[in-house]
Amino acid sequence: MASNAAVPFWRAAGMTYISYSNICANLVRNCLKEPFKAEALNREKVHFSISKWAGGKPEKPSMLLDFVLGNAEKLTLGDHWF
Amino acid sequence: MAMAVFRREGRRLLPSIAARPIAAIRSPLSSDQEEGLLGVRSISTQVVRNRMKSVKNIQKITKAMKMVAASKLRAVQGRAENSRGLWQPFTALLGDNPSIDVKKSVVVTLSSDKGLCGGINSTVVKVSRALYKLNSGPEKDVKFVIVGEKAKAIMFRDSKNDISLSVTELNKNPLNYAQVSVLADDILKNVEFDALRIVYNKFHSVVAFLPTVATVLSPEIIEKESEVGGKLGELDSYEIEGGETKGEILQNLAEFQFSCVMFNAVLENACSEMGARMSAMDSSSRNAGEMLDRLTLTYNRTRQASITTELIEIISGASALEAAK
Repeated sequence: MASNAAVPFWRAAGMTYISYSNICANLVRNCLKEPFKAEALNREKVHFSISKWAGGKPEKPSMLLDFVLGNAEKLTLGDHWF
Repeated sequence: MAMAVFRREGRRLLPSIAARPIAAIRSPLSSDQEEGLLGVRSISTQVVRNRMKSVKNIQKITKAMKMVAASKLRAVQGRAENSRGLWQPFTALLGDNPSIDVKKSVVVTLSSDKGLCGGINSTVVKVSRALYKLNSGPEKDVKFVIVGEKAKAIMFRDSKNDISLSVTELNKNPLNYAQVSVLADDILKNVEFDALRIVYNKFHSVVAFLPTVATVLSPEIIEKESEVGGKLGELDSYEIEGGETKGEILQNLAEFQFSCVMFNAVLENACSEMGARMSAMDSSSRNAGEMLDRLTLTYNRTRQASITTELIEIISGASALEAAK
């Protein structure tokens, strides 16, 4: 029942189900034994650049996301959920 | 002396094959002098030879690109086919409602970052524009979220005011779910929507791609639709375990559905891109081959013509000397 109780908390923290499930998936990956763990963590590379548009042109210099999901604790990306 | 006369005669007889047609327009005296200075005796085959070399190089490049696309396609095809299992349960539960009429639509157009892949990018753009026309109207709002450099370049020309987000460089690393889910999360946070319409090329075979629209509804719309009945009416017959409300469940479901559908769509589109690039490169190397054949023919004909001219020169020179004796 713990997961049921947790629903409002992560929702209240501004997380979506996607981020919640990603963090859970990452925890599971961290439970693997060593050769598999590094492999699984390195597989989950995140790389793309995103830019918001307003008034017909890109509003600000596009934000480039480039990190490995497993090293999430080392990262601080603005208001991003990592 | 007689040789020189015949040589000039021969040159005048073959003005159409001359490598430099401008020389024919100039006065014969000056052109003769120029060619005499350069030491050109017969028609130059240099131009054709250079052309042949460059066509051959282009053919090599397109062949290599085809090979690369084929190997990449093999890597991504299995993943794309496996990822179809992710959205199928959602469609079974929530249905796919491409014709739903809502106030705020967001069209997510998926395209490639690189070109030389046939018409896949222009088809998704065409479908996105059609969706825009279908869904726009008074009190209705349509926005674009564009993934990939190519669709961005095309959409920028005529609908730049309706673009709300653009995403590029997605394909740098092999596609994985974590990456696409982070992207889906960013899209969800940055746009307001009642319905997300994801436009992509569904991979059918190496030569066939179907432009496809996948619709993801917002939780409020799903709830409204299920109250009205129809396709989503059966949703109320499901029991909900635990202490969650239907609204919460639907919100979680809609978010997860979006990231799963996006994952599949991105993979299918990458797969179609590789397939399209493969067939495009295949046909362009074939075209280069045909061009090379034509050029070789021209080259050989010119060579033969110059050999014939030389032979005529020698023979007639010899016979002139014979006659002078």
